Amino acid sequence: MRLNRIILSFVSALVILFSTSVASFAKVVGDKIILGAAISLTGKYSSNGVHTQNGYNMAVDRINSMGGIKVGGKTYKFDIIYYDDESNPKRAAQLAERLISQDGVEFMLGPYSSGLTKAIAPVTEKYGVPMVEANGASRSLFTKGYKYLFAVLAPANLYLDVAIETAVELNGGKPVRIAQAFEQDAFSQDVRLGILDAAERTGSKIIIDDKLPKELNDMAATLVKVKQMKPDVLVVSGHTKGALTAIRQIAEMKVDVPMLAMTHCDAAKLSKQHGKNSQYALCASQWHKSLTYKDDFFKDGMTYAADFEKEFGYDPPYQSAESSAALLVFKDAFERANSFDQKKVRDALAATNMQTFYGNIKFAPGGQNVDKPMVLFQVMCDASGSCENKVVAPLKWASAKLIHPIPKWSER
Amino acid sequence: MNKNFILYAVILIFGLAAPFLFPAFKVQLSILCVLIVLATTWNIQGGEMGYNSFGNILFYGLGMYLCASVQVGMFFPLAEWTESGGEKTFVHTPTQFFQGMAVGLVVAAIVPTIVAGLIGYSILGLRGHYFAICTLGLGVAAGEISGGIEIIGAGQGFTTPPFPNVGSLEARGEFFYFLSFFTLVLTFIAVRSIYSTRFKLILNAIRDNEDKAEAMGIETMKYKIIGWMISAFFCGLAGGIMGGLVGYIDSTDVAFDGREMGVFMVLMAILGGKGTLWGPIIGATIFHIFKEGFWTFFLGWQYVALGVLIVVIVIYFPEGIMGWLREKYPERFGEVVDEKDRKAQVELK
Repeated sequence: MRLNRIILSFVSALVILFSTSVASFAKVVGDKIILGAAISLTGKYSSNGVHTQNGYNMAVDRINSMGGIKVGGKTYKFDIIYYDDESNPKRAAQLAERLISQDGVEFMLGPYSSGLTKAIAPVTEKYGVPMVEANGASRSLFTKGYKYLFAVLAPANLYLDVAIETAVELNGGKPVRIAQAFEQDAFSQDVRLGILDAAERTGSKIIIDDKLPKELNDMAATLVKVKQMKPDVLVVSGHTKGALTAIRQIAEMKVDVPMLAMTHCDAAKLSKQHGKNSQYALCASQWHKSLTYKDDFFKDGMTYAADFEKEFGYDPPYQSAESSAALLVFKDAFERANSFDQKKVRDALAATNMQTFYGNIKFAPGGQNVDKPMVLFQVMCDASGSCENKVVAPLKWASAKLIHPIPKWSER
Repeated sequence: MNKNFILYAVILIFGLAAPFLFPAFKVQLSILCVLIVLATTWNIQGGEMGYNSFGNILFYGLGMYLCASVQVGMFFPLAEWTESGGEKTFVHTPTQFFQGMAVGLVVAAIVPTIVAGLIGYSILGLRGHYFAICTLGLGVAAGEISGGIEIIGAGQGFTTPPFPNVGSLEARGEFFYFLSFFTLVLTFIAVRSIYSTRFKLILNAIRDNEDKAEAMGIETMKYKIIGWMISAFFCGLAGGIMGGLVGYIDSTDVAFDGREMGVFMVLMAILGGKGTLWGPIIGATIFHIFKEGFWTFFLGWQYVALGVLIVVIVIYFPEGIMGWLREKYPERFGEVVDEKDRKAQVELK
């Protein structure tokens, strides 16, 4: 059998290929601290993946150009190894493994979305690699006792429960009727849990509770029901595509609802893409540029937004801001630990208590940020048709008053 | 026979030594084993039987959910586990983990086999494109349905039990590698012995002309179902292992991942050469290395490269690598070539 020879030579070729391709980086090379990140550059989360990457890059450039990180009397600079996780948890887990065991990365930045963070966290935890993540908000990430996971954002169940409470308040303290539609993914389902809690607390009734497929591009069935049942609040969550689909179809079908609460309005650039159609949408956000937090690197939200726009050509959504903040947290922790020992850095991260342009950051034992409330903004348009996101809650930062109820389509 | 023995011994030794030779690549090597299993079993339908199935992903996903559910459900209430996101709240002892995994894998292999029998009975009467489209729907439907079942985590996903703290950090990687390598060996032995029996000839007869095969008295339906059940058995096993390896099961992105795994298994078998024993193995290996390489060194171009690869396969290797080799060096494959006959054929063209 000559065939055997072909196969044997194939196997030996493999051996050679594998043994030559082991190119290992170290965590700190020369004056560089190398961080690893799996980011969704393709697939369903690609637009938010890019927001995340831009946020990381912006902070790396800024920190490096402003003197870098001082550890043990030496100055270091940040560098990030990126891989594309294709918005796929399986791929993300595999890439985390690769970053750590092949590339020798000892510190990680988070991916985009809760699902992917859920896939990566067990890996970083196993190897004791500290990970500061900025885009995994699912509550179940913080109930597992992970010791090496730190999230600069507030958990997902807090995203929209404020909206329900506001609706009840505006209803004279009486319970409201809620219609909700959520994408089948870890994040949106967690937002849903938050709404369920809020509904129970306020005695509100959920009259429509729909689950929508991933890569949401049609929710007409839900909207038909909304038109029939006339709820007081409509809650929609489904990442960027969910926000775009909801606004597009609500406008097309002229669905009247007194309050429309959503997530990902800024990441979807709703006010730009849909203009007046997106008017009055109420959106949960981790951050807004008008908030008055300050730090030394980006000064404040307004300066950050201006610098970001200059560099990348669009207004930064909160996904970018929180990603930039993750680097600030890492820098601070390295300097306080004054070491590259993973345990020491981890302890320094756990003791973080700082203010950044993005908000205060202080981690609970579960790893979530407990020092930064969510904000709600509403899309508001002027007569000329140009729209802007204005913070309406909490009152401390409100730059406009909530418009409620939303005017009917026939009156607009 | 002797030469064959040497070949198998070399590959077996290479396989057993691989995680120690390339410790950093254990995960990729485990995934490679799983990919080979998927491609090899797909080849039973797509290659030998001529039924292009996109539905094998159903068994893979079923196996994944079943294995993890059994592993958890044997010791803890499953609903509470998924609700809490699993981990830490309930911790498996090492014995529980391995016992659960063992029972889980058995279930993950058997249930999909039964399912394949049931579904096969109802849809293997379809032929050609109709069968392909129908099976395509199976995977998509399973993904959407499982995404709505609360007890297995629904849209939240299912975190599989974390590997217990036994041995060093490397223990987990080695465990899953050997598990997947063992499954690969098992699959290979099974498929190879099947291919040396009359069963394979029957499958080929079905591929070449099903009506004629039936006219000759072969109960084609029976054999088609048995073929699919064999594939389901190993796909289920592969899924169960993959679930533990990834650590997080998502309904459409990890388990019933028809868009990636479901297509990849077809692609790998075609790349290597469908209808051959070694084709899917070579195809899967090349595909995996190619993919990993591009994903690493040419970030952002991987899908372009994958597209080009598919085009190249279709245009230059329509019969796959093995098919191409076979055409080029038929004598190496033990085929007797009559030079005169070949010349005559050339002249005819």
